[in-house]
Amino acid sequence: MKKLNVLLMVVGLILLLAIAGCGGDASSDGSAASGDDENKSLVIAQASDLTTMDPQNSLSTTGDRVFRNMFSRLFYWDKNMELQTEAAESYEQLDDTTWTFNLKEGMTFHNGDPVTAEDVKFSLERVMTDDTLKEYSYFQQISEVNVLDELQVEIITDGPMPTLLNVLAKSGSDIMPKNYFEEVGLEEFQKNPIGSGPYKYVEWLRDDKVVLEPYTDYFGGEPKWEKVTVRSIPESSTRVGEILTGGVDLATDIPPNEWERIEGESSVKLVDGESTRVSLLMVRTTEGSVTADPRVREAIDLAIDQQAIVDALFRGTAVPVRSRVPEGVFGSNPDLYDTRVFDIEKAKELLAEAGYADGVEITFTASKGRYPLDGEVAELITAMLGEVGIKVNLKLLESSAFIDDYNSKANEELLMIGLADGLLDASYSLVHYTKERAAGQTDYYNEEVEELFHEAGRNLDMEERSKQYQRIQEIVAEERPHIFLFQQGSDYAIRENVEFTPNLNEVILFDDISKN
Amino acid sequence: MKKYILKRLLQIIPVLIIITFVVFCLVYVAGDPVALMLPEDSSESDREALRQALGLNDPFIVQYFGFVMDLMQGNFGTSFRYNQEALPLVLERLPATLELAFASMVVATVISIPLGIYSAKKQNTFGDLFITGGSVLGKAMPNFWLGIILILFFAVNITIFPVSGRGSFMHIILPAITLGTGIAAEMTRLIRSNMLEILNQDYIRTAKSKGVSNSVLVYKHAFRNSLIPVVTIMGLQISHLVSGALITESVFAWPGIGQLLVQAVNGRDMAVVQAAVFVIAILVIVVNLITDLIYRLLDPRIHYS
Repeated sequence: MKKLNVLLMVVGLILLLAIAGCGGDASSDGSAASGDDENKSLVIAQASDLTTMDPQNSLSTTGDRVFRNMFSRLFYWDKNMELQTEAAESYEQLDDTTWTFNLKEGMTFHNGDPVTAEDVKFSLERVMTDDTLKEYSYFQQISEVNVLDELQVEIITDGPMPTLLNVLAKSGSDIMPKNYFEEVGLEEFQKNPIGSGPYKYVEWLRDDKVVLEPYTDYFGGEPKWEKVTVRSIPESSTRVGEILTGGVDLATDIPPNEWERIEGESSVKLVDGESTRVSLLMVRTTEGSVTADPRVREAIDLAIDQQAIVDALFRGTAVPVRSRVPEGVFGSNPDLYDTRVFDIEKAKELLAEAGYADGVEITFTASKGRYPLDGEVAELITAMLGEVGIKVNLKLLESSAFIDDYNSKANEELLMIGLADGLLDASYSLVHYTKERAAGQTDYYNEEVEELFHEAGRNLDMEERSKQYQRIQEIVAEERPHIFLFQQGSDYAIRENVEFTPNLNEVILFDDISKN
Repeated sequence: MKKYILKRLLQIIPVLIIITFVVFCLVYVAGDPVALMLPEDSSESDREALRQALGLNDPFIVQYFGFVMDLMQGNFGTSFRYNQEALPLVLERLPATLELAFASMVVATVISIPLGIYSAKKQNTFGDLFITGGSVLGKAMPNFWLGIILILFFAVNITIFPVSGRGSFMHIILPAITLGTGIAAEMTRLIRSNMLEILNQDYIRTAKSKGVSNSVLVYKHAFRNSLIPVVTIMGLQISHLVSGALITESVFAWPGIGQLLVQAVNGRDMAVVQAAVFVIAILVIVVNLITDLIYRLLDPRIHYS
């Protein structure tokens, strides 16, 4: 009996402690409502957590949304998606491969150290040389970074590099504090990262939240918010629940099945943004496959009603396109934006001409759960192709199995994928139509495309370069190694007292948001 | 007794070796982690370079051997995703998961003991049927669904509790109920059936005939004796708690091992999967050992040798 009493007491004590432990830090509540001044603090919810505090090894939109406000870069994309100087005061191009950049005076890191040309050199060299960094491959065309004086840096590129400024505005080009980084090392740096952006690091509770506070000495003027919390809430219905109750001010990645819930409430608003991600069908043009015949490829394009897909599944918020370079990205072709070709009769004729009057069978690989409503889109396309007599074997794969199929180039006639543009320059997307990149996947080759692409890649005459890219897109839209579907949207939910305009690159500058 | 505990602890070693081997094979077979680390349109050479840098091109045996050698030194390797040592990543989330597990057990105990006893005492009444019916429902509700419904009712429609996250005492209530309900249901049924069995025993009848009051009969004589199987089931529930935590933590954005493990599996982050499974395995084994030891306290007739 005594033993039992002792046991019950111990168990009771443990349970009591557990409860006390839960209640221990009630004050560190991260919700918006608990801020001292509600209108001075901002809470954002994203669908996943950051994976690192090293901005040069992140390569993700979720990471960039935090780093963009913590670190500065030489250039940035403003809310109109125009490239502007940020840490750079001015720049000059001396010849085809040599550029000089003057830094702004009086910039400091969050520990008070001045931002100098040495820091810029250190940061770029780190990402150019360390091949374990995820941003490494984007910086390979920069061959040298030299310090001219304290605030002047020279960049030498490997051949003419028209995308240099884009690269210097890209994630991974963040200016790292050389002295601090070398002193403490990567591990310590990640525990207490220091940048020169408007907000400084307070804490990162993994899979929970990142907390930032304003850096009052920021060179761009005093930041707006007294506290910014970026929470990670993977489950979309929970994210919506948080915005409905006012736990967060802005939630990203709202899938179409949650739209109705938001639109039914007056306290929240749905904001449709755009992304650079374009859904497309990758078509095998390899000799011997059914789709090697251009008439079959055209028939497939004609059989698909992109507008109907967009209207039925995305309520018209996505944009049908005929190119992978959406409006707003350098080199986009306006003739191929917000348009489609759709003609069932002609599709049938073309198939008959190609010798498939009695129908033809193709295999179509698509993902389920990787992009919003991807499985539904694939099923709609299957039905549409069936209308013209193309029998589709639909292979719907779970996200990681799908990516394996894609990477191992196991795609058969059609594969549906969404591809984004991290550089906001057509070169990023159009490289897919070069012989080297197309090998094994679409096996597409066109001599003119090849030439235009390589010329444009070294062309510093921006107007001509843009024309070259537009021409490539025309040819591609005609020859169809890719059949384009639509530009994916990016949907946010905000509280009704919040004002927010989404950007094409899906990055959020905290100070562009306002709250009444 | 000491010998017994030592024996049990030594048994952990082969179990862990088997677990790590199986998990290693599973993650290896699952495919290439690099494919999930870089964007879709990364080039073959970018992927190749990263694979090389991470040592993923080595043959299976070399990779496994390297892994085991590191493990001997307590090193699970570096997470691909987080670019950080895996074990600290897991351990730093352990408190959140333990907190949730404890709270769920509290919920389960608080619900199941009174309901189980009541149900047994009033066998075949309306109350009993209601409770047994309810327990079937409780067991059948998937965590995922229950979590979302609880959020909808008690956080969105009536704003009593916060929707998600970890922080104050209020934050833990909904996830604890979500995770605890299934366990409560199972425990209620078990307590009920045990009580019923015991209430029909001779010694209860003897006690009754000698005029022992009803409450003493139920709580002192019957309930105590029905505790042993209950402790077993509580011990066994640890694995339920862990598997339930995978889902519950994701629904409530609870920053524990469950959420980490889900993401690690999705990202084929071998080192983190290994470390998390390892920690969970130790947890389960230790809890089972403690359960066995508690038997002895409850029933002096049980001896271990």
